[in-house]
Amino acid sequence: MRKGKSLLSLAAMVAAAVVCLLYQGAARADTLEPTDSGAPSAIVIFPVGEKPNPAAAGMAPVAYNHVIHEKWMNRTGKECMVCHHTGDPVACTECHTVEGKAEGKFYTLQQVMHTPKVRQRKENTPSSCVSCHKEQTKQRDCAGCHTQLVQTRDDDPNWCRVCHTITPSMTRAQMQKGIANTLSARQNEVLATETALARKPVSYWSPLMAPYKVSIDSLKGQYEAALFNHRHHAFSLADRISTNRLAGAFHTSQGTMCVTCHHNSPASTTPPKCLNCHSADLKRMSPGRPALMAAFHLQCMNCHKDMKVGRPRSTDCATCHKIAPTAARTTQGE
Amino acid sequence: MAKTHDIVIPTKDKLFNLDPLLSLTPGNIITWIILGVGFILTIIRFTVGIGSVTNLDDYQPWGLWIGFDLLCGVCLAAGGYFTTVGVYVMGMKQFHSAVRPAVTTAFLGYAFVVVALLYDLGHPLRLPYMFFFPGTTSVLFEVGLCVATYLTVLFVEFSIAPMEWLSQKFPWILRIRKWVIRITILLTIFGVTLSTLHQSSLGSLYLIAPEKLHPLWYSPFMPMFFFVSSMAAGASMVIFEGLFAHKGVHQYMDSTHLKEADGVVLGFSRAASFILFAYFMLKVIDVLVQANTHWLDTGYGAWWMLEMFGFVLLPALLYAIGARTGNVTLCRYTSVLTVAGIVLNRFNVSMIAYNWNLPSDLRYFPSFWEIWISIFVVTMIVTVYRFIVYHMPVLYEHPDFKGEEH
Amino acid sequence: MNRRKFLAFLGSSGVVSALASVRVAEAAPHVFPYNENSFGVLHDTTRCIGCRRCEAACQAVNNLPMPEKPFTDLEVTNERRRVTAKAWTVVNKYEVNGQPFFRKLQCFHCNDPACAAACFTKCYTKLPDGAVVYDGSQCVGCRYCMVACPFNVPGFQYNLAWDPLVLKCTFCEPLLKQGKLPACVSACPVDAITFGRRSDLIRVARRRFDDHPGKYMNYIYGEHDAGGTAWMVLAPAAGANPGPVDNPDTASKEFKQLGLDTHLGNQPMAELTYGALGAVPMIVAFWPVLFGGAYAITKRREAIAKASVEEAAKSAKDDITAAMDAAIRKIEETEGQAAADRARRAMTEALKARESQDRQGEAHNG
Repeated sequence: MRKGKSLLSLAAMVAAAVVCLLYQGAARADTLEPTDSGAPSAIVIFPVGEKPNPAAAGMAPVAYNHVIHEKWMNRTGKECMVCHHTGDPVACTECHTVEGKAEGKFYTLQQVMHTPKVRQRKENTPSSCVSCHKEQTKQRDCAGCHTQLVQTRDDDPNWCRVCHTITPSMTRAQMQKGIANTLSARQNEVLATETALARKPVSYWSPLMAPYKVSIDSLKGQYEAALFNHRHHAFSLADRISTNRLAGAFHTSQGTMCVTCHHNSPASTTPPKCLNCHSADLKRMSPGRPALMAAFHLQCMNCHKDMKVGRPRSTDCATCHKIAPTAARTTQGE
Repeated sequence: MAKTHDIVIPTKDKLFNLDPLLSLTPGNIITWIILGVGFILTIIRFTVGIGSVTNLDDYQPWGLWIGFDLLCGVCLAAGGYFTTVGVYVMGMKQFHSAVRPAVTTAFLGYAFVVVALLYDLGHPLRLPYMFFFPGTTSVLFEVGLCVATYLTVLFVEFSIAPMEWLSQKFPWILRIRKWVIRITILLTIFGVTLSTLHQSSLGSLYLIAPEKLHPLWYSPFMPMFFFVSSMAAGASMVIFEGLFAHKGVHQYMDSTHLKEADGVVLGFSRAASFILFAYFMLKVIDVLVQANTHWLDTGYGAWWMLEMFGFVLLPALLYAIGARTGNVTLCRYTSVLTVAGIVLNRFNVSMIAYNWNLPSDLRYFPSFWEIWISIFVVTMIVTVYRFIVYHMPVLYEHPDFKGEEH
Repeated sequence: MNRRKFLAFLGSSGVVSALASVRVAEAAPHVFPYNENSFGVLHDTTRCIGCRRCEAACQAVNNLPMPEKPFTDLEVTNERRRVTAKAWTVVNKYEVNGQPFFRKLQCFHCNDPACAAACFTKCYTKLPDGAVVYDGSQCVGCRYCMVACPFNVPGFQYNLAWDPLVLKCTFCEPLLKQGKLPACVSACPVDAITFGRRSDLIRVARRRFDDHPGKYMNYIYGEHDAGGTAWMVLAPAAGANPGPVDNPDTASKEFKQLGLDTHLGNQPMAELTYGALGAVPMIVAFWPVLFGGAYAITKRREAIAKASVEEAAKSAKDDITAAMDAAIRKIEETEGQAAADRARRAMTEALKARESQDRQGEAHNG
């Protein structure tokens, strides 16, 4: 019996441990990892302003995932000074408010977060959210799309919402306190954590939904049709950024990976043909729009160049499309 | 009629005096060799193309033939207007014997500028097209119009000498001569106007190419520089030419010419000294005004200073010394220096400082045959000059017309 | 010449020069008016891949001679070639901030072309569609257009004896007339040369600057350079160090590295000569007055000098006569009438002899 009792107690302990572990895991799912620096793992940046704001009107606050940024900084050898440019780790809104104040040299909160390029300073040059994120798009895995894609806020209702989004559980009173900069740090972190945890990366349309190979043959003539391995390209692109958390956060549509090439039309699994807009022969009066041949070449070549794909050289025509036998004769005859 | 030596004056029966041109002296032999080879080159040039004898290319469309034959030719023929203005307009009668040689060289200079131009033009026969399709916005049109008109004026001014030569055989010529002498002052004033215009516009030609000409030579005042230096060239050329005429055709000078010669040299030296000094100041001020001083410590700067100090300021001082001490020899050799300086300046503008930005392998250097053609043209001038001097009253007064005031 | 003739001459020369100044005044400002609907081409050097297809197309369309090396030989882009009478467009490789870029060279088809202003037989025309075309039928072959062209474009057929002409890109004017595009533009596989209305192209260029920050130099070469050109060039800002723009040595060095001169200024090149040309009527009008006046002064001075000499001679003669009379009166008083007569005769003869001697001397000197 003693044996059974001990077994039972052991089982109970194991069960307790499992429950504990499970509970722990559940609890962990509700919080973010702590930061190395001891700062809150996430904070809400409210549009802090000094003017009375009884309606709590203002831009939706941003839940800033401090810990992700800190980890990235540690990984890439950057310092806190990149953002906390004075060397003093205070909140941005201490100096930069919606109206701007003397401590922050009257740079407003909007400016310091969105300036696309911060002018070089003699001492430490800070980064804005936008300038730093833009800089990240230049890395090799991103550059193919991001140097061709014209990112613009115009007519895109979701543009601001990627960052300016907050959990619906935030009350108006909290917002009001946040604007007045009187919200307690504990409450702030709770809101931020809730928002950050609610964020889920989108899953892209699978390359398998698209054709395996595309024969680009509308310009056959001097050269034979180019056989474009659509699936390989799509997989390759998706694969390169599969672990990139920045891409995960900012690629908010299932069709994000499609819209660089299939541009200027709503993302779709059945996009319009290139020929719809890029006519085969050059038009005199639409100088901004390349003709079909140039449109293809510009997309292929620029992407290969920006992603540092060595092959093929831009002038090795026959790598992508074979010289047509008839054309070969005529070119030799020339 | 006290003659110091005998001048062969052609008469009604013996109109020609070709012996000195045809005799087998070393000078004549060289002359005929140059002319002979030049004649063959001429045939090649006009049957195979400009590229066959020149090093001209698309970067250097204007080479030696323009830089020397046209720019220097016109500039060095400035003695014509310079002397006639001095004698007829300013009334410096003591230089009267210098007028005819100066007008003769000026006329020959301009005539052979046109001849040399025919070599350089792709379509020489179309030269008169500029009167039918006048491109009035072109500096070259102004140059062409003025040179054509001035050549006519010089022809009329010069025509007195051949008319006096031929008058014994064809007496009716005397009536024309009378008319020409009557309009001398008109021709002189017309001539100086035209000279001012085209001497300066030779500089204006390069105004349109600031990116090709080195900043030390390019200036909005280039027309003025070309005009002022042409005056110095005019004065110097009278002296320079006298230097050679005294060596070569001394026996065709009459006592008046010989008596006035030293006075002419000293007077013209004094004038040239002033003009050169003014020119030097203009160029220095130009460099200061255009803030080009930083170019002076480059290679081109050294070259510019060599031109300015060695070929402008130095002759100005030597002329001044020569004129002050009455040292005719010094003045004569200074004239050689000045003429060389003028040629150097025109070479700098048209060739050496032109296209200075190009890598050296694309730069221009005239071909041997191109140089030969230029020498050929000069030899033609000298030969025709000698023909004129041997036949016409240029260095002497014709006994039939002695003492006439004009 | 008497005074009336002289005045008539001055008057007529004044009228002639006034007429001349009217003609020059008409010609002086711009040779060709700017046509806002004119066409142009935007050359985006960030796109050009140096494939030389434009060269091949140009050769084929314009029946130009085949080059020594075939168009498929892309190594020739390493040479510093220029356009010639045989090749109206060439593509060269340039190092911009250490990276290779290609630029196509051809006629820029200036808004107010220097070649046209420099031509003294009006061979060049700027057409309303933007093309600067050359008609060789009245060309004298002086090659001043080649001196004038700030882009070193016109090429001359130096090796032709009969009918050598200046040749250059025509903007494929015959094709433009048919509503087609220039051959090089049609042939470009990457739209590195974009055809359109010049005004549209400037907007297109600015949009590219906006859309691709950091990719381009913020300058459209040819928008204003040399008075504006129909063909315009965009330069890459590749690896550019955004140095201080007010330093002329570092500003826009990318264009310099592309072989483009950014110091041409914003006025048409020909305007540099209009000051000098404008002075022509002034000189034509004023020089005859100036030198005529100098001549008149000289003549007057000579006349005054002559008059004063004569007067001096006359007064000297009077003095001598008076002295002679006084001497004779004295002789008459002291020695009687006969002696006085003898003295008078002797003195008169002596005087005459001296006068004739003077006259001879004068004649000899004169």
